Amino acid sequence: MASAPSKLYADDVSLLMVLLDTNPFFWSSSSLPFSVFLSHVLTFLNSILLLNQLNQVVVIATGYNSCSYIYDSSTSTNQGSDNGRMPARCVNLLQKLEEFVIKDEQLIKEGLREGIASSLLSGSLSMALCYIQRVFRSGPLHPQPRILCLQGSSDGPEQYVAIMNAIFSAQRSMIRIDSCYMGSSNSAFLQQASYITGGVYLKPQQPNGLFQYLSTVFATDLHSRAFLQLPKSLGVDFRASCFCHKKTIDLGYICSVCLSIFCKHHKKCSTCGSVFGQAQSDVNSTSNKKRKTPET
Amino acid sequence: MPQVRIIAKNFMDMVAALPAMKLDKLYENAFICEAILRSLPPLAKKYVLQMLCIEVPVTAKSMEEWVLPDGVSKHRVAIDRLIQLRIFTETVDRKRETTYTLNPIFQTNLKKLLLYGVVLPREPMPSNVTVRLPSSEDLEAFALEQWECFLLQLINSSQIERPSNISSSMMKIFQRGLLSQRDKEAPRLTESGFQFLLMDTNAQLWYIIREYISNSEERGVDSADLISFLLELSFHVTGEAYNINTLTEVQKNTIKDLADLGLVKLQQGRKDSWFIPTRLATNLSVSLTDSSSRKQGFVVVETNFRLYAYSTSKLHCEILRLFSRVEYQLPNLIVGAITKESLYSAFENGITADQIISFLQQNAHPRVAERVPSVPENVTDQIRLWETDLNRVEMTPAYHYDGFPSRDLFEGASDFARGYNALLWEDPEDSKKMSLVVKAENHVHMREYLSRQRQ
Repeated sequence: MASAPSKLYADDVSLLMVLLDTNPFFWSSSSLPFSVFLSHVLTFLNSILLLNQLNQVVVIATGYNSCSYIYDSSTSTNQGSDNGRMPARCVNLLQKLEEFVIKDEQLIKEGLREGIASSLLSGSLSMALCYIQRVFRSGPLHPQPRILCLQGSSDGPEQYVAIMNAIFSAQRSMIRIDSCYMGSSNSAFLQQASYITGGVYLKPQQPNGLFQYLSTVFATDLHSRAFLQLPKSLGVDFRASCFCHKKTIDLGYICSVCLSIFCKHHKKCSTCGSVFGQAQSDVNSTSNKKRKTPET
Repeated sequence: MPQVRIIAKNFMDMVAALPAMKLDKLYENAFICEAILRSLPPLAKKYVLQMLCIEVPVTAKSMEEWVLPDGVSKHRVAIDRLIQLRIFTETVDRKRETTYTLNPIFQTNLKKLLLYGVVLPREPMPSNVTVRLPSSEDLEAFALEQWECFLLQLINSSQIERPSNISSSMMKIFQRGLLSQRDKEAPRLTESGFQFLLMDTNAQLWYIIREYISNSEERGVDSADLISFLLELSFHVTGEAYNINTLTEVQKNTIKDLADLGLVKLQQGRKDSWFIPTRLATNLSVSLTDSSSRKQGFVVVETNFRLYAYSTSKLHCEILRLFSRVEYQLPNLIVGAITKESLYSAFENGITADQIISFLQQNAHPRVAERVPSVPENVTDQIRLWETDLNRVEMTPAYHYDGFPSRDLFEGASDFARGYNALLWEDPEDSKKMSLVVKAENHVHMREYLSRQRQ
């Protein structure tokens, strides 16, 4: 699975997949306005493309209900800037973004969900991984891929399984996931994603200086990372969500066959169908409860 | 091929060697800033980006804090390069603290690029004026043909159909170092000439452009102007037409030479004339970096030492002829064989086995390029073996001494020669004959020693 990076390519050619959180519920309550955030990100994208002519940037919008590719530097041409000041690159991106947000909003009206307003991170992560797999298969020459999650909204525990699967497949393909979390408290999902794949997790202390964070930390190509001291996360929240109610739990039950996690005792595993012995479970429930937090 | 690296680096060294005034003037052009930025080592690129929004000097100490122990040497290289190119200014203040500031002109230009994106150096002409624009395939073919024609002329091949318009004096300059001219003899390719032919197109192009630039002062053209124009040209869009009247007088003269090299195609309309950059021109700034070009290969080497080259190019045929026996030529196929004789003649001309092998590997046909190794191992091994065959006998001029009057004198002399590390051979101990062979360069010492002993 692991694809060896090609030696024929220059060391610092990178393919950057940017996952852009467009969740309206988060940005309406954020201290940093979305427009300012976007201008920082656009400048950052420009700088990545400036660094090497072979660098490639793909932007995927992570919405509330859907996600979509909104920009790919390899297909869009840099021509036809009609309104003087704005470069064609930004015009294209913003147009696509607007279309996406409108479409995403329509989906919300169709089926409004209760609970935390989290974005569909699992979807955009999978899309990014699919794109990278396609690049891997395109031939022996390809840029070094990495994923950057620009996330603001809080974790959706219901996506736990999908996100963890995406993280592990990224780990298998040796794709690093960097995450820059704009929300108020830390995101356990992104902390785990960066920790497992060897990426960088950063929560900017001063969101107004986002570009400086992005250009100092996240613009660093994989080749240079071997020589640099990048921010290390102090602690990673390894808590998992249960499969039955999608709640984040500290203690729970694990299926001894397929390792599915449950917050309550079940007679039968809902994932693999194994029947659990229940002789002692009612009598001596504390001893049967397993600490499910992995220590590693 | 290591030569490629050296040439690309030499170009940047050439920029770095420009006087400070010229260098600062060069940075006024945003495209130069971009091209220079792209040519920097990865770590240096990162430092520039990091410093872009910082107006105050940054201390060297705080920059070093970012570097892991493993990366200190890389860090030094990056900083040295930045200072050499005058992108960073180093100042040491009263407290002996070193600080760095980004070149302000460079900084503002890069900031503009970041905020407004990359703007084209000049607007392409509207399509209603330029009616007969060549398709990208035609343009590609034109560029290749032009470049090959130039190369064939460069190596004085008899295969040239039509000579290009490059003046013979210019050609002489390009040929300097590549061809050796002996009296009354046809010019022969030198060792570096052969190596030049085996390089990839980008590296060759840079070699020629470098000669062209270093020679510019003689033609009354400022080398900084020329560099900036060439770099600017590389940011034009391939296949678009640009009005020639937007160029200065000097640039107009330059572009005619570039058209002969296949970098641009000139076209004449009813009123205006325009130039169309080809891929060769837009790749100019690419070759600044170490990345190798992604050219499609054409050579298939079989385990029986046969060579099939799917190419219509005469130049390819000429190159293959350097180290193989071309057996027959079909319209799109050259069939040859790598033989001992053909390789020996290549080695005699100064081509090394590694160069031949890397040429075969780099130009491997896509079908075989997927395989590992792309050139059969028995072939590469044999090529190397034949090369070492030639190096089996080493010649050292030497003197032979014999007829020593006594065993003591003989042993003393052999010890003396050993002291100079000059003893090549001596008679075995048990032999009656006492003779030894010593390097010729130490003959004077030997003679002195022997005459001293005789007294």
